[in-house]
Amino acid sequence: MNRYAFVALALGWGVACKPPQPGDPVRGLSKAERARFDSGRAVFESTFTAAVGLGPLFNGSSCAECQEEPVVGGGGDEVERHAALFHPERVGFACDLLAAQGGPVFQDSVTPLLHAALGIDREPLPAGVTTVGRRSTPDVFGFGLLDAVPDSVILSYADPNDTNHDGIKGRPNRFVDGRLGRFGRKAFVPTLRDFNDGAFQAEIGITSPSVPEEGSVTGRPLPPGTDPAPDPELKEHELELADAFVRMLAPPSPLKQSREAKHGREVFARAGCTGCHIPALRTGDNPIAALRHKEVAAYTDLLLHDMGPDLADICFGLATPSEFRTEPLMGLHLATKFLHDGRATTPEQAIELHGGEATRSRDLFRALPAADRAALIAFLKTL
Amino acid sequence: MFRLALLFSALLIVPHSAAAQQTRSSQGKPQAAPAPAAVPHDSVRGAIRVIDVRKRTVEVSTGVGYALRVVPLQVPASASIKDRKGGQLANIALADLKLGDVVRARFGGYAAPFVVYTIERIGRMTTGVDSTP
Repeated sequence: MNRYAFVALALGWGVACKPPQPGDPVRGLSKAERARFDSGRAVFESTFTAAVGLGPLFNGSSCAECQEEPVVGGGGDEVERHAALFHPERVGFACDLLAAQGGPVFQDSVTPLLHAALGIDREPLPAGVTTVGRRSTPDVFGFGLLDAVPDSVILSYADPNDTNHDGIKGRPNRFVDGRLGRFGRKAFVPTLRDFNDGAFQAEIGITSPSVPEEGSVTGRPLPPGTDPAPDPELKEHELELADAFVRMLAPPSPLKQSREAKHGREVFARAGCTGCHIPALRTGDNPIAALRHKEVAAYTDLLLHDMGPDLADICFGLATPSEFRTEPLMGLHLATKFLHDGRATTPEQAIELHGGEATRSRDLFRALPAADRAALIAFLKTL
Repeated sequence: MFRLALLFSALLIVPHSAAAQQTRSSQGKPQAAPAPAAVPHDSVRGAIRVIDVRKRTVEVSTGVGYALRVVPLQVPASASIKDRKGGQLANIALADLKLGDVVRARFGGYAAPFVVYTIERIGRMTTGVDSTP
């Protein structure tokens, strides 16, 4: 082999081994899958106007408007309003997700036509709502892999009665049709496709074959003439492409770990954090080979845990106000705000705000020598 | 033979005349009876959020992702209500349904509340369901 061939081979090998950057697709896609990923990105980045169906109530005019940092598919600085009514005395259906009012998402923007008709600037909350859940925008990197984790894997970590007496329960949430939930801050939505399809209507006000009905204004029908675009406003194949883009986004590659970070990984486990932040989940069978039987370093169990009264806000399906899904930590090094509402600006603050089932781990973190605490944070910043 | 033919003709003609009279009297002018319109059929799978056994009404919460909606249903006494457990179907009463039951309902009608043909209980939100949708 001559020297040039060797250099070319080394360069090629280097490119092939370069970890995916934020916004890249997962490795190993077929040409057809890659083409769908690229076409899906175009749908994801499409900006909707009122003429083509935006709103009349909406939180953003495109998917990419909120999923934007550091690249399309990443998180955003938007914080939206979710609401629900909790009736613990109503056995079997304690959480009213305000389905009669269009669901738990209350949009913060309206089109000029709706403003002219009703004089509102955002969707009013229904009477009786006393608690609002504020939700920051998470990135969606690696969500296709989370979708590919079999239900049985998630359920294998559930311990709702704390039979092992470690203080950590973990119980599954379920959608209103009984399916196991996994997406959203309270693990309510069962599949990535549902998450994406529902978001077009709930976040952008775009109807589709999947969600053909336009939203209401806190349960009241839209005034005539305020939604002139014919339904459905998005075609089935456009929905499929947007889903393909999100599904095939690669999880962020962890950063190279220093000696301190490697020590921090051990401290993380010793403090019991891995009781909920399970380091890796394994996917099952999947139509996309690149998602099939893969290990994803998600650092979550996708289950609900009581996080204590300080973080509590609204119920969601079976989740009580103080229960939240274990937040995946993959991509943490890209985050600038933490927790479900972005109230923490550093990982340390986020840990300090843990309560409920995480109280013991939080207290262990507090009691650590300064060097160990620093090591644990250094580790988190590599994820 | 003639008498039989006359009777047969009368049997054929009389109902048509009566129907035509009915149409005239109700509309004020002669017009062809409209063809019966097809009642739309639909189905829903979701959780019972409200049930009123006395009024025989049920509200089912359903949706896609965070885009949720409610389907109000009227349950006539003739509707079939069944419980599915371990692959076996058993008849149950409306009063046996509870909040949080996951049901699959078939219904028809033009406006809410829609009229139920069948309700099948397939699980509960708290415990999940046996089958995939």
